[in-house]
Amino acid sequence: MISEGKTQRAIREHFRFVASDGLRRRMLDRTLQAQKTSQSTIPAPSEPLIRRIVMKSAIAKSAVAAAVVIAAVVLSVGFWDRSIPSAYAIEQTVEALQNVRFLHLVTHGETGQIEDERWIEIGADGFQVHYRQESPGYDFGVIEDGESTAVYRHEKQAVIIHDRNDMQFQWVGKLGEAFEDLRQNGKVLEEDSTYRGQRAHKVWWPFLSAECYVDPATKLPLAIGDTEMSYEVPPAGTFEIVIPEGYAVLDKRPGAEPGPLPDWLREEEEARARGSDAFGLGTHALANGDFATAAENFELAVQASPRRNWAWFWLGSAYYGLEQYDVAIAKFTKVLEIFKAYGGGGDKPLEYCNYARGLAYAHLGMQAEAEADLVVCLPAMVRTLRIPSSGSMFEYAENPLIRYGEYKPTEAEIVAKMVDRLRLITGQNFGYDPEATAEENEAAIAAWEQWFQTDGQIRVPLEAAL
Amino acid sequence: MLEDEKLKWQFKCGSPQALARIYEKYVDTLLTLAMGLLNNTAEAEDVVQDVFVSFAKSANGFTLRGNLKAYLSTAVVNRVRDRIRRQRHRPGTREAKAPAASEARGPEEQLVFSEYAGRLSEALDQLPREQRETIVLRLKANMKFKDIARLQGTSVNTALGRYRYGLQKLRSSINGEVEYDI
Repeated sequence: MISEGKTQRAIREHFRFVASDGLRRRMLDRTLQAQKTSQSTIPAPSEPLIRRIVMKSAIAKSAVAAAVVIAAVVLSVGFWDRSIPSAYAIEQTVEALQNVRFLHLVTHGETGQIEDERWIEIGADGFQVHYRQESPGYDFGVIEDGESTAVYRHEKQAVIIHDRNDMQFQWVGKLGEAFEDLRQNGKVLEEDSTYRGQRAHKVWWPFLSAECYVDPATKLPLAIGDTEMSYEVPPAGTFEIVIPEGYAVLDKRPGAEPGPLPDWLREEEEARARGSDAFGLGTHALANGDFATAAENFELAVQASPRRNWAWFWLGSAYYGLEQYDVAIAKFTKVLEIFKAYGGGGDKPLEYCNYARGLAYAHLGMQAEAEADLVVCLPAMVRTLRIPSSGSMFEYAENPLIRYGEYKPTEAEIVAKMVDRLRLITGQNFGYDPEATAEENEAAIAAWEQWFQTDGQIRVPLEAAL
Repeated sequence: MLEDEKLKWQFKCGSPQALARIYEKYVDTLLTLAMGLLNNTAEAEDVVQDVFVSFAKSANGFTLRGNLKAYLSTAVVNRVRDRIRRQRHRPGTREAKAPAASEARGPEEQLVFSEYAGRLSEALDQLPREQRETIVLRLKANMKFKDIARLQGTSVNTALGRYRYGLQKLRSSINGEVEYDI
């Protein structure tokens, strides 16, 4: 019979049920809806008499006295020496972001032209209230005025207006979640680094899977990845829906007279629905190792949505699984082209994609091309050993079930798999064992880092089973 | 804990962000707790949904000074007891127990758990209700025996006894499962 301790540990560690993303969203929506409904009949609460509540017990009185002493010491230290700069903490950025009302996000293309520009107004509750997006690269724009969402299709000279509840555009989904993720999982990569000649702290933001540069004075991000950020008040009329002259209006709000649906829009909507179905089937087929079905469905998905980068990537993965490496390379290259054209990628690597294409090149014996692709992945791969979230896109690329919450790798799994990838493409083996002690794994990680700093060469063993 | 204090105040002020954070922070713990008490995914989801909806509506009169996690855990226990009581009075309504995820919804809307967790759930389900309650409240909600005893309307010694006897039975029923691939 197992020991009592093991029984307790089994329950503590392994008896765990987690809501999938869909279930989590559905339950949260109902919960928030209940709060909203109840609020419509509830007067705002008055400020509590905090002092009276706190001072009820003797222990609380002592605690308050101690807190007063500590506060006095902290304040006096602050007054004595204001010249010593305090160390930066991510918490400061999260707090600064929580006080922001407007976000202005700009991504430039290779020649300096604006590729994507967004304005967001954040309400007191932390949720987006107004939004504007101009994406000349996509020939597409959006204005959300708080009640309606207008989608501008410039090439068709048309504006499609939706009720805000039916159609909403967002920058990163839930802003609050992104900020909380920064608080809990963000890492300071380098204090006093520089961003375009300006002093800035470099921070890793897992939710956005990107490096972020923080202004040391305001503690606010100057840039996230390739997107520049500022916080000024937008020009008047930014969030006002205006119909340009000569544009047709298609009003899809409830109760409106939408008129006949133009052929181009009907075809687009039908193709999008078909593509979406095919995408879902493709991801599950790929996860099950049914590469032929996956390829077939992803072909339909990219036909319907030619800029859907993940459909192209997993189409490449399906052909890789079918050992059609030349076709896989073409599909992975397409992802890099989309990223470069529309994702603000420039010539920066898209590590998970370069890695996959590098392996496909290696299978074809194209050593130079393989090394060129794989070497650009090394910094992110080695960084994953210390900051597991840096490798999350590799995991996502490898297992589409993550998209549906059907699979969620642990940090230890992410690190262990990244070490396997490093072993494969470098021929080195410094070990890392999820079952080993923290000290043993620390030695393995340090050895990998040392190797990266002093050697860092790709040595793809062509005969290896990739 | 300090975060909870801030969240409680923000929630009382009507902040949906605070409610969403409380939800995110505790939903999985409460689902696990409900599964430990019911061994039925659909019922566990319903119970936890009811607890959060009721909690969301309670902002106006909300005056909790204690531990938020213990408060929500107690709410789950009370809902589960109500449910069991109602089922007792409706012959033939107790569903066939199965920790397997409900099939009515797609995989994107289900509870996610390992096969081993499913087996542990089955093992817990073999225990008398009071012992099961004591074990999951102690090990999954980290509640003190003093609080468990108060919730069960019994003495601390009785709660400790239920915990010990429950663990002994569990030890024998999950014996051999420890090598199970999880």
